[in-house]
Amino acid sequence: MNTKNGYDPARYERMNHLIGRLTLPVGFLLTFVPLVILWLRFGIGPDLKALVQGIFSISVLMAPVSIVEVLTFSAMLGSGAMYMAYLSGNITNLKIPSAAMAMDLCDAAPATEEGEIVSTIAIAGSVLASEVIIVAGVLLLAPLGGALSHPTISPAFEQVLPALFGAIGAYYVLKEWKVAVAPIALAIGLKLVGDIPTALTIPVCVLASVLTARFLYTKGLVGKGSPA
Amino acid sequence: MGNYLEYANAPVLLTAAIVVVAFVALQSALFLAVALKRGAAAGLDRARMLKALRTGVTTSIIPTLPIVMALIAIAPVIGTPVSWMRLSVIGSAPYELMAAGIGAKTMGVDSLGGAGFTPTVFANAAWIMCIGSFWSIMIVSIFYKGIKKRYSSKIQADTRWREVMTGACFMGVFALFMADPITTGGTALVTFAAAAAAMTLCLVLVVKLKLDGLKEFALTISMLAGMAACVLWTSLAG
Repeated sequence: MNTKNGYDPARYERMNHLIGRLTLPVGFLLTFVPLVILWLRFGIGPDLKALVQGIFSISVLMAPVSIVEVLTFSAMLGSGAMYMAYLSGNITNLKIPSAAMAMDLCDAAPATEEGEIVSTIAIAGSVLASEVIIVAGVLLLAPLGGALSHPTISPAFEQVLPALFGAIGAYYVLKEWKVAVAPIALAIGLKLVGDIPTALTIPVCVLASVLTARFLYTKGLVGKGSPA
Repeated sequence: MGNYLEYANAPVLLTAAIVVVAFVALQSALFLAVALKRGAAAGLDRARMLKALRTGVTTSIIPTLPIVMALIAIAPVIGTPVSWMRLSVIGSAPYELMAAGIGAKTMGVDSLGGAGFTPTVFANAAWIMCIGSFWSIMIVSIFYKGIKKRYSSKIQADTRWREVMTGACFMGVFALFMADPITTGGTALVTFAAAAAAMTLCLVLVVKLKLDGLKEFALTISMLAGMAACVLWTSLAG
């Protein structure tokens, strides 16, 4: 990659971490504003005893999932992309596919300087686009609700995830089928076993995929395409 | 029920929701500006960066539709402002529904909406939705910087392996979500298979006919093909 004189990636990294570490907590606190208004102004507040119980239940579920997900996604996304993905949510169904496609279409390998920049730009585009679409949804709530829930086409909207992962899955399988076989077989096996929480299945599948890739890499079967 | 909805849809709440959504957009705009500057300094050409932005936009259009559907489904229960805000920040539709469910359950209510869904149950559901995202936000805000440093120092030595490994991480996540429709079967499998077949066809065309422009729209085209197959399948079967 041609870099101009004086290009210092570390400077941009610091900037990303600074923006991210400021905006994430602020964004999180902002989400409580409507709830506080409801409570203080309209007297619609939670039952504290039940709330404590609920906090306990949700934390037992979310704390382990969050740790595992952060560790996994950290290896895949750049810093700016990571902070955006966490503030705007919808990581596996929107942000990860967008970043993956953008890096591929722009020939920017993940976990490189180029991949970092390309995935950040793509995720910013993704956040802004989905916000606009959701706003349109809010504005068109009534008419759109009628059209989308028409019995003929409504099943299609329940199957967006299978369509997304069929398409992007096929793309990845065709790209490097040797790496794909083991994690897909394992994922199917895990699904057949039963309802295992994603806190477990995500790291297990990612680990299987990485170990397969490592094996193939040391045998010289993958990773030859790109220059060292 | 119903009386709390008047408050849940109050203009002041809508304003608060707009502030939250605008804040998310502001953060993205900031990161976008930094990334564009960084790309220019790193020598990435403009066309490539625009392509990245375009890809981010086009790949997000269809996957956002279920979010709109979720919004339409939960707005009558918890009001438009809170639903809109929750679906635009931290978390995803399944998380929000689960969190709201937990909030209601601790009050002895098993469903969202309905006769037992009192203002207090509503408030509990909404508070749990917000509090539940504390963990991911806290971990990323405090520990991510250190994690990132450790990751990049560990694998810096072998950049080729690093690329292969990151690609494998993506594959692992996708594999998990591919297994869902495969094991569910029925309509989900039909949609999945049709989308996969359409993607394969697109890529064959890209390679054989050198239709490079098609590659950018392959994901959207394949998803639409999958959804069209789904409509066809359900109307034939139903």
